Amino acid sequence: MPAVEQYLKPEVIRQISRLDLRAQFIVKGFLQGLHASPFHGFSVEFSEHRKYTQGDDPKDIDWLVYAKTDKYYVKKFEAETNITGYLVMDLSRSMAYTYRQQLSKFDYSICLAAALCYLMIHQQDPVGLITFDERIRQSLPPRSKRTQLGNVLSLLANLQPSGKTDIAKSLVQIAAMLKHRSLVMLFSDLFAEPESVIAALRRLRHGGHDVILFHVLDEAEVRFPFDGMIEFEEPESHEKLAIDAGSFRADYLEEMQSFCEMYRRECFQNGIDYVQIDTSMQFDRALTEYLVSRRGRS
Amino acid sequence: MTFLHAAFLAGSLAIAVPIILHLIMRKQPKHLEFPALRFIKLRESANRRQVRFRHWLLLALRCAVILLLALALARPSIVASGMLGDQEAPVAAALVFDVNPRMQYRENNQTRLEVAQETGEWLLSQLPRESDVAVIDSRSATAVFAVDPGAARQRIERLDDRGMSQPLSVAIESAVELLETSEKERKELYIFTDLSRASWSTEATRGLADKLAAQTGVGVYVVDVGVRDPQNFGLGETRLSGEVVSSSAPLSIQCDVLHVGQGGQRSVELLLTDPKTGQPEVRGRQTVDLAAGSSERVDFQLRGLTAGVHQGQLRLVEEDALAPDNQHWFTVEVRPAWRVLLAAPVDEQRSAEDYALFMAEALAPYAMRVKREAPFDVEVIDVDTLSAKDLAPYGAVCLIDPTPLAPPVWQKLQAFVAGGGGLGIFLGQNASPVQSFNDPVAQQLLPGRLLRQFRAGGDVYLAPDDYQHPVLSKFAGLEVAWPQLPVFRHWQLDKLAEGATTVIPFSNNQPALIDRPVGRGRVMTLTTSISDPASRPSERDYVPWNLLPTGDDQFPFYLLANTLARYLVGSDQQQLNYIAGTPAVVRLDADNRQPMYLLTTPRGDQLRTPPSDGGELLVVTTTDSPGNYAIAAGGGDEQVRLGFSANLPSSISDLTRASEADLQAAFGPAPFRLAHNRDEIDRSISAGRVGQELFPYIIVFLVLILAGEQVLANRFYQDYNTAPEQSRAAQLAKSADASGAKTKSTPPPIPVQAK
Repeated sequence: MPAVEQYLKPEVIRQISRLDLRAQFIVKGFLQGLHASPFHGFSVEFSEHRKYTQGDDPKDIDWLVYAKTDKYYVKKFEAETNITGYLVMDLSRSMAYTYRQQLSKFDYSICLAAALCYLMIHQQDPVGLITFDERIRQSLPPRSKRTQLGNVLSLLANLQPSGKTDIAKSLVQIAAMLKHRSLVMLFSDLFAEPESVIAALRRLRHGGHDVILFHVLDEAEVRFPFDGMIEFEEPESHEKLAIDAGSFRADYLEEMQSFCEMYRRECFQNGIDYVQIDTSMQFDRALTEYLVSRRGRS
Repeated sequence: MTFLHAAFLAGSLAIAVPIILHLIMRKQPKHLEFPALRFIKLRESANRRQVRFRHWLLLALRCAVILLLALALARPSIVASGMLGDQEAPVAAALVFDVNPRMQYRENNQTRLEVAQETGEWLLSQLPRESDVAVIDSRSATAVFAVDPGAARQRIERLDDRGMSQPLSVAIESAVELLETSEKERKELYIFTDLSRASWSTEATRGLADKLAAQTGVGVYVVDVGVRDPQNFGLGETRLSGEVVSSSAPLSIQCDVLHVGQGGQRSVELLLTDPKTGQPEVRGRQTVDLAAGSSERVDFQLRGLTAGVHQGQLRLVEEDALAPDNQHWFTVEVRPAWRVLLAAPVDEQRSAEDYALFMAEALAPYAMRVKREAPFDVEVIDVDTLSAKDLAPYGAVCLIDPTPLAPPVWQKLQAFVAGGGGLGIFLGQNASPVQSFNDPVAQQLLPGRLLRQFRAGGDVYLAPDDYQHPVLSKFAGLEVAWPQLPVFRHWQLDKLAEGATTVIPFSNNQPALIDRPVGRGRVMTLTTSISDPASRPSERDYVPWNLLPTGDDQFPFYLLANTLARYLVGSDQQQLNYIAGTPAVVRLDADNRQPMYLLTTPRGDQLRTPPSDGGELLVVTTTDSPGNYAIAAGGGDEQVRLGFSANLPSSISDLTRASEADLQAAFGPAPFRLAHNRDEIDRSISAGRVGQELFPYIIVFLVLILAGEQVLANRFYQDYNTAPEQSRAAQLAKSADASGAKTKSTPPPIPVQAK
């Protein structure tokens, strides 16, 4: 497979291996520290038996148990044992932004995606990849083979976030593309008109998909560490604005906070997991915290 | 406001630099890529206004820094007196010394004047070269510029505080007038004073404020050489029973012992100079115990003084810090009892003695007569014998209830009065018909034409309204129940003659006692009788003219009769005790006039003084020194021994200090500086000449503005490449590199399963 050969190139392997290590590190931490997979609700084969009560779907009754005990027991989560995950990556130019010239939002997102990808494959859940800017650019069909991780990562590593983006339109396309209920893991900075994005997320959620929204921001976007007269340029539209940054910080942070808060509120109302992270956070810790809280909710 | 280096003000033009930089050479903002620009745009317009405001603020601050710097370098100062020029430029300086006797207050073995002299001499040495200096003391108040500093120094050394001085304000005013004449640009007035309230009270400094207000540009420095908590005992005003007293009556000397500060015991001695030896002899001693803030009176009685002028002094035995108020001098003239002639009518019922009884007893009471202590030698005659009587030996003649007199008698009386005698006319029932009294000859003595007898129902009485007249001076402070002494009848007069004044009116506003000076003498007329008994058994309907001599309280009559008689004999005409500094007028004996008199002053100086005013008076103007002045002339039988005393006013004992408010009231709007010692003088003068330096305040202000500018500028134009930014970036990187560090130490496993 040309793709695999491409991944086997030394530089690709180096990239993948670095990402893989990060993912492994996290998961190992989980296994050792929590003594259970945090993916409790994703696709385990059997969760629990409980007595049938009126209102339960009779088709959930475990026939085998009935046969042995002559009692009705409902087999919980049997229908959800296998879930397909999609890593949805925003390829907009703004994702390439990094203030400290170390880890761009896109790099950070790949790290997160690699970790999640590894976890799912480790549990034999199929994982696919979709990237988009103004429309869907690449898509890797979900697989649960171990080679899938390499495929995903080699694809991601070769991508260069550039150009404009249309998150809402792309999400609508994804919603239309996915046939089965899936776990959609969206990585984006959400720099677009929030109304349409939220509407698209709502539509995705309406399609029965479980959506985790990773709102990835650069630390500079969160903290605004600028002072003095600065002319800012928007990388996608090339719009320029000269301001006195020091005096602007409070205003900016207020706006940014209300923006994030709006997403948090909307996501909560629509049953979407909203995870706001910035590139100054250690992504393994951020992911761990999220996953623990998710397990607590399930 | 003045500037020491005004040229530096030109430096303020440098404010053009920041303005040009602001308007033309604006710094290009740093270019940065930033995806989250949409959030900035939401608040952009409000922020832009803020930025513009801050820029202007910054520009204003920078301009202010330059302006303040230029201002500070120009060394501005606020000059109270508006003086100009270099501090070392010559000045016109007037040094006014308060030389009132309070300046003799001694502390640390130095009198206030000595302190003032020392400070004044030091000040002389501090004045710039070529300065015009005038030394003025409050005694002479003569203001002229000294020819050279040496002369000024000598003038200071010769200042004398032993005599009476004029109010300090007079000296200050003449100093100001002198300074006006100077062509020097800077004029300075130094006032050396003990700052006692007596010198700086509103009365003492009236008009000074206007004078100073008119003369702007004079720097006024008040140098306080006084003491803060003075301790002093002093003698107040001495009161004698009379300055000319009868040899038969005792001499009473009263004096208050005053003090400032803590109380204590003090002894007062009475010394009298022996006329033969000229040496003072102690004639009495009294001790008083003074509580803090109180005063005590001492009272001495001297008897058996021989006729002639006697001089003496009261003195505090114990010494204290202020010497001049510890003694008080006095002079009295003792002479034989005054001879007073009482001329009364004789009729069938009453003799002349009956008519004159009340008056005669009042002037020479029996009890005193027998002891020969009566102040008056009274002789009663029939009024009809008056024409034959030689009036020359008498000091005064009193007509008691006179009957009409022949014109020659009136003429004789007129001549007697004109020659210096006193005439008392006590009108009564016998003064009718009135033609004799209204005769032009009689009217030369009487105060007006007699109209009619006024009858009252007992509601008329003597009603003196002021006590300025010598006759009434002893009544001041005496609460006499005049309504208890009703006047039932009195003569009503036509218009009063020219020169006649009502001394005591009745309660119905008619004149009762009238004074009319005639020639060198005087006529006192009482319009109601003083010879009516209270009742007459033979007359049922008898109503006396008044109850003055016969009422329940006869003391007012007694006192009035005595003071009237003293006034008539002219005992008050001879003033022998003066306030130092006022001219003394000594009446000379008309019978024994000398061409020249020898005046011996308290300091021992002897001055030959000619008499003035036709040989009747000796006027002495050099009475500055307190003490007894002796006047002598002739020898043998014609020897003349006269004298008078000059005393300092009792106000010299008042060491109360003037407050700042008193000074401000004295100087009014004119600025002045108060200094207590040389350092303060130095500072005051520097502040007065150079003004209050604003340099330190401007520098503090400048630093504050500079700091504010720095803070704002740092906030506005902070560069990203500056060290703080790098460290912040390094800090951010540190947290993110935690995982990266592990990458290097752990060999990367390859998760991809190769086929």
